[in-house]
Amino acid sequence: MKELAAQFEMHYPRGAKIAAEFSRPATGFSITAVFGPSGCGKTTVLRCLAGLERPQKGTIAFGSDVWFDGKQGIYRSPRERNIGFLFQEYALFPHLNVAQNIGYGLRRQKAPERQQFVHELLNRFGLSGLADRYPNQISGGQQQRVALARTLALRPSLLLLDEPLSALDTMLREQMRLELRHLLTDVAVPMFLVTHDRHEAMALADHLIVMDEGRILQSGPVQEVFARPNDERVARMVGVETLHKGRVVERSNATTTVAVGSVRLISLANNPIEEDVLICIRAEDVEIAPAAKAFDDRPNCLAATIRHVVSDGAMLRLDLDCGFALSALLPRWATSSLNLEVGSVVPAHIPEEAVHLIPQFATN
Amino acid sequence: MSVAKSFGWCMFTLASIFIVLVGCRQQTTQLSDVRGLSQKQVSVAAAADLKFAFDELIAEFHQVHPDIKVQVTYGSSGNFFAQLTNEAPFNIFFSADAAYPRQLAEKGLADQESLFLYAVGQIVVWVPNGSSIDVESLGMQAVLDPAAKKVAIANPQHAPYGRAAEAAMKSLGTYEQVQGRLVLGENIAQTAQFVESGAADVGIIALSLALAPALRDKGKYWLIPIDAYPSMEQGSVIMNWAIDREATDLFRTFVAGPGGRKVLKQYGFILPAE
Amino acid sequence: MDSTALWLTLRLAALTTTILLAVGLPLAWWLATTRWSGRFLVEAVVSLPLVLPPTVLGFYILMATGPNSPLGAAYESTTGGRLPFTFQGILLASILYNLPFAVRPFTAALMGVDRRLIEASWCLGESRLSTFFRVVLPLSWPGILTGLVLTFAHCVGEFGVVLMVGGNIPGVTRTLSISIYDNVQALNYAAAGQTAFWLVLFSFLVLCITYALGRRGIPF
Repeated sequence: MKELAAQFEMHYPRGAKIAAEFSRPATGFSITAVFGPSGCGKTTVLRCLAGLERPQKGTIAFGSDVWFDGKQGIYRSPRERNIGFLFQEYALFPHLNVAQNIGYGLRRQKAPERQQFVHELLNRFGLSGLADRYPNQISGGQQQRVALARTLALRPSLLLLDEPLSALDTMLREQMRLELRHLLTDVAVPMFLVTHDRHEAMALADHLIVMDEGRILQSGPVQEVFARPNDERVARMVGVETLHKGRVVERSNATTTVAVGSVRLISLANNPIEEDVLICIRAEDVEIAPAAKAFDDRPNCLAATIRHVVSDGAMLRLDLDCGFALSALLPRWATSSLNLEVGSVVPAHIPEEAVHLIPQFATN
Repeated sequence: MSVAKSFGWCMFTLASIFIVLVGCRQQTTQLSDVRGLSQKQVSVAAAADLKFAFDELIAEFHQVHPDIKVQVTYGSSGNFFAQLTNEAPFNIFFSADAAYPRQLAEKGLADQESLFLYAVGQIVVWVPNGSSIDVESLGMQAVLDPAAKKVAIANPQHAPYGRAAEAAMKSLGTYEQVQGRLVLGENIAQTAQFVESGAADVGIIALSLALAPALRDKGKYWLIPIDAYPSMEQGSVIMNWAIDREATDLFRTFVAGPGGRKVLKQYGFILPAE
Repeated sequence: MDSTALWLTLRLAALTTTILLAVGLPLAWWLATTRWSGRFLVEAVVSLPLVLPPTVLGFYILMATGPNSPLGAAYESTTGGRLPFTFQGILLASILYNLPFAVRPFTAALMGVDRRLIEASWCLGESRLSTFFRVVLPLSWPGILTGLVLTFAHCVGEFGVVLMVGGNIPGVTRTLSISIYDNVQALNYAAAGQTAFWLVLFSFLVLCITYALGRRGIPF
């Protein structure tokens, strides 16, 4: 199975360092998001894959093509790698119109062929009629599509996207998230995108690489990383709402019992070696029932007092107190039969598989 | 990029190369290319005080020898000396100070045999018409007149007329007071221009310039006594690399002969004995 | 109007400008893109003629290219000609003296091109050279043209260096500004004034055309 295997380091003058190691399939559709806060090095990793930056040591290989090898002194320029790069602000050539931008890399084709192909791309990306316009005469969303069309015109084997949605204003961003996913699904090549927005990562990617301060903290399928972060930093980055210290009081083959304050929770996780742990509970996993009897003899049933109710679009966010602060996220339709006044007590149930344990003190 | 643009760039590069080649070859890069096939040329380096005298003299020479073209460049003698030491392409040098041609001959750059004295120069104190300074009665004291805020002389470092002016001022006792008000011309002609234009109020310039048509009616002068400064022996020499040596010799003969001497005398030069 | 001097001056300016385009543009490109920490040294050398008095530059060129110098001797043995007091000599002096007037605007224009556009071009399969012609030049030509115009105009007005290196030889190194100087010294103000007038008019026209054209440029 052909793989994109990368293992490299970048050193900076004042001691800062970026170290990356990962491998992903090199054929077929897949979207990997490199996710982390600003300055964590994710854009640099992308640029190293593109050949726009040269690492100090390591290797990058795409299948059997070695793109970079520090020891052997191999370094392929971007044009030798057959990659497509979508820049954050699209980098459309201001002196060329839309059709010329899209056809930019197709110089070697004969004019009629090229025109035909450009025409097809214009249609495919919903840009027909804009061929003669210049980049400053079209909207942000249209600019993005032109940039995408321009990149895909060359049928790259790997597509790299640098914060594809951050140049759009917030309103447009959510709309474009779905549209972009749609457009990208048609492209049957592996893709890497860089983002600091976790909603974007969740909406667009199937695989997640979490980075912070130049290092990869966790790598895995998106749902996996979101549901089971490795440590506190990752947990905060992927937006786990409820995080508390706890102590392991009992272990069995299948379950672990953790004490959080005076409350006991049962978790299906059996990984922690230490006694001091952090519990992670995603808000959307918390169940709220209208009446107490629904939960009676199941583990992790708690009486929760409502402290705050916040409307979050189609969802309702509840801040609860069940012996510790607990956050719950419910769709509006599910709350119609519930009494959600501040101060009222509701039964809350946390499924055992939703109680995730991580070591309290980071080891990496 | 379109074919048209690439073609445009090709043409531009070719045009540039062409211009450079043409520029370097066909243009008059050497003096030897300036003249035509049949015309002989003498290039002269002449001291600035000879400006008007030589213009007339050359015109007369041309009447006698219409096939010879005389190209003259005027400047300060010291400057020419420096250039000629670096083999500047002049055929013959007419210096305002005979020491320069002598040194060139000693250095083996010029023909010792051709060395000769062609004139003795004189200096005057000159003021433009309308000046409040009565130079004719004040004489050298004119430079001390309160109206003489700026006094122009040629730069003594490389202009013989400047050195003479300095010597004259010193011997006539006006140098100390005037020192701070001196304006130095790059050569004696520029010095005259300074006074003529009013940039300087009074100047010590060559008699030959004061007598020239351009200045004659524009101002008044006082002839500085010839014993107030070392004699301005003006010498000439032919350079070793002179092209058209024959034509150059003819010119030299003309200057030394009756034709040349007549003109030089008109411009106030004292002529050496024949 | 000294037409020989005029023609000579125009030729000198045209050649200087052309050569500085060919030589200065690659240098400017290197200055605009290099990450070498010693880049400031090169910048200082390039800018030197801006602060050097023309006579100093002229003096050094004279010394460095005289027939007794290694450079001058080499030149003479390969081409048979000399550099001081010749057109080639003042051409060399002119090129050195006008270097900053060409290279600095070129560099500024090239640096004004967004680096990401250049990177985008690479990622779309273009080589550095073709990227230069397809992206960089079309976007920076107004600044480059400014450099060319400045160089040309500055060259036409040159005096000190040309006088030092050229020696004021009519038809060979007597440029227009020297001709004016000569006329003034000869108290021939009429001729000087006439030449000066045409010079100003010419320069003004060149500048007008350049700035008018520059405005039309590319639609962005």
